[in-house]
Amino acid sequence: MKKLLSHISLFLIPILVIWILAEVFYRTVPNNYTYKHKQISNNTDIEVLILGDSHTFYGINPEFLSLKAYNLSNVSQTIYFDKLLFEKHIKQLSKLKYLILAVDYTTLSQADNTQEDIWRKYFYESQMDLDVPLIKWYNPKKYSLALTRKFDKTWQTCEEYHNKGTLIGCDANGWGNTYLSTVDSVEMNRLAHVVAKKHEDGSLDFSLNTERIQQMIDLCQSKNIQVLLVNMPSVPEYVSVLNAEKWQKIDAVCQLLETNNSNVTRIDLLEDKRFVLKDFQDADHLNADGAKKCSLVIDQYLNKL
Amino acid sequence: MLFNTIDFAIFMPIIFLLYWFVFYKNIKTQNVFLVIASYFFYACWDWRFLGLIFLSSLVDYVVGLYLVKTDNKTKRKSLLLTSLIVNLGVLGFFKYYNFFLESFQEVFSLFGRSLESSTLHILLPVGISFYTFQTLSYTIDIYRKRLEPTSNVVSFFAFVSFFPQLVAGPIERASNLLPQFERKRHFNYAKSIDGLRLILLGLFKKMVIADNCALAVNEIFTYYPEYSGSTLFFGAFFFAFQIYGDFSGYSDIAIGSARLLGFDLMQNFNSPYLSRNLGEFWRRWHISLSTWFRDYVYIPLGGSQVSKTKWIRNIFIVFLLSGLWHGANWTFIIWGFIHALFFLPLIFKSSNAKFKDVADNNKLLPSIKTVFQIGSTFLVVLLAWVFFRAENITHAFLYLNGMFDMSLFSFPTVSRGLVLFLVVYMLFEWLQRDKKHLLEIDFIRSKPLRIAIYYCLVFIIFYFAGDTQPFIYFQF
Repeated sequence: MKKLLSHISLFLIPILVIWILAEVFYRTVPNNYTYKHKQISNNTDIEVLILGDSHTFYGINPEFLSLKAYNLSNVSQTIYFDKLLFEKHIKQLSKLKYLILAVDYTTLSQADNTQEDIWRKYFYESQMDLDVPLIKWYNPKKYSLALTRKFDKTWQTCEEYHNKGTLIGCDANGWGNTYLSTVDSVEMNRLAHVVAKKHEDGSLDFSLNTERIQQMIDLCQSKNIQVLLVNMPSVPEYVSVLNAEKWQKIDAVCQLLETNNSNVTRIDLLEDKRFVLKDFQDADHLNADGAKKCSLVIDQYLNKL
Repeated sequence: MLFNTIDFAIFMPIIFLLYWFVFYKNIKTQNVFLVIASYFFYACWDWRFLGLIFLSSLVDYVVGLYLVKTDNKTKRKSLLLTSLIVNLGVLGFFKYYNFFLESFQEVFSLFGRSLESSTLHILLPVGISFYTFQTLSYTIDIYRKRLEPTSNVVSFFAFVSFFPQLVAGPIERASNLLPQFERKRHFNYAKSIDGLRLILLGLFKKMVIADNCALAVNEIFTYYPEYSGSTLFFGAFFFAFQIYGDFSGYSDIAIGSARLLGFDLMQNFNSPYLSRNLGEFWRRWHISLSTWFRDYVYIPLGGSQVSKTKWIRNIFIVFLLSGLWHGANWTFIIWGFIHALFFLPLIFKSSNAKFKDVADNNKLLPSIKTVFQIGSTFLVVLLAWVFFRAENITHAFLYLNGMFDMSLFSFPTVSRGLVLFLVVYMLFEWLQRDKKHLLEIDFIRSKPLRIAIYYCLVFIIFYFAGDTQPFIYFQF
């Protein structure tokens, strides 16, 4: 038995060393989560808070809003985390006047634990200081970020850090767009199909996420904060490929939220003709020019309110 | 608790250490500990169904005790019937209730009548088909007077719930596993090392082969109308390896974990894709299930020792039941039917028992004849897998329709790296075909080289693992 245990221990040493190094890497190198947490915690005079997923992360640049704004959205950020973040920071944001919330194709139907981004919840808890009820105390990943991601992703992240010198992919206002690139219409058409496939979860059950949005609206109501529900722009091919019934239902939910709540305004930019091919970096994400255009449009709405 | 998770990586060493260091002295406490560990393991899936395992264990334990006490045929039959009704009743309700109800409703609607009954929202308890068959074999063997019942309730409960094989097999026979619970286990270094190798190999098969194939399979089977015949062919090809990696990987981890605790479970897979005909395939694929059907269905029906007509009937019964065992869907039944259909030539040529030896033994490369035999067998198996994977029969036929057109000869849009990887893997299986498993590498004298191979596998698992997918066979 001793022989077996000593052999296993020796065999595991290199693996343990790699695990510890990965853990140290994740705990010490700043990334979007740590950076945004620091920024939002230190900026208590924000008047406009932007939440949402990559569509708003890349698509709304606070620099072009008249009021002081911060973009707290992130890649694959779900309503679940929007709500947790909002509830955590609302107390300190005494000057907050507007909350911008993206409602896109996946927003209302998305599950809390999608396989692809399941690792993110541990980063929210550990690096954005959120209490995430989804994570149970007995889950080992709660205590080790290195365990949350596959090794190849960790390796790629290390390479990214080595090449760029940083893992922070957003500016001081939380806006994450560094892309100016665009693609031709043929490639855009292909991308539209690829992305649409990825986004099609087949669910029409919006109840849970709608309830979460309503709770956020209610909280805003009590603090006299206006809510802007934004359907972010996408290329027409992307919209047409996806389930028309689901789009209609999303539209109906947004309308209902706007009708039922006096502090809610809805801005539908999904198929807004002002956004053309050169404004997109891919089928559903604006590039820097598109983000500027989108931010200015939203700013006009804010000024009208 | 999946075998390929951190949870199991923590659970197993804790069980191993407590088992050998704390509960080692007394076999009874060691077995009690195994029952608790196994129930905990199952509770991590869904604690609500623990009662079903308990019920199944209790009924068969009591039936076993009463069976040995009487020679009265009627009493013995009624006792056996009790076990069958309880076990198959529970299985039937949880697994087949909705399927049969819907099928009856469809049959009635064909005759212009409607059957007023609604389906229930029933959750399928994990592993119910596996432990039900395991406990049934115990009762049937006692009824046939081929096995003495155990009076040790703890041993019996441990036998039914033994966590390494509880949720997806191998489906053990009481004659093999139960005695192991009743005698003292001694730690064996070589056995433990082999167990660890099997765990490593199982993780490789599951996380690298199965999970990477799953990504391609899910894409191709979901959007099959968009793909060429050649791509659809490779979709089925990838599924063949997904299910093989998934299930044989699980079995390897199960057998390896059991070995660490001093138990020997039966081999469940033996390079099935190197089979030269379907008869050999079924001696190498899911061995614990095929031998179960052989011993408890096929042979009692007369097996091959009857007229050819009855022999064919027996083959069809076994394969159709095997299909139904896999799931409450007509696709599985058609899958079984295809295997039965392609088994017919073997019956007519009486060559079903052919190829019990290792293919081209002592030769480095296979002969052209062997390549042809392996290839043609694999094609039949692959064809049947389309039904196994499809959502429904229509889907399967549309998939096959898309596969068998002129675009079958076009260049497929699949990952060439993955195809190459699977071909290389099969080459290793060929080279190791006379061994019990791929990592039986004691013939390599150099210890550093063996360790390098283990590290290489660990690296491949960490670096090339696909996105985690649930084990396919858990749904059965």
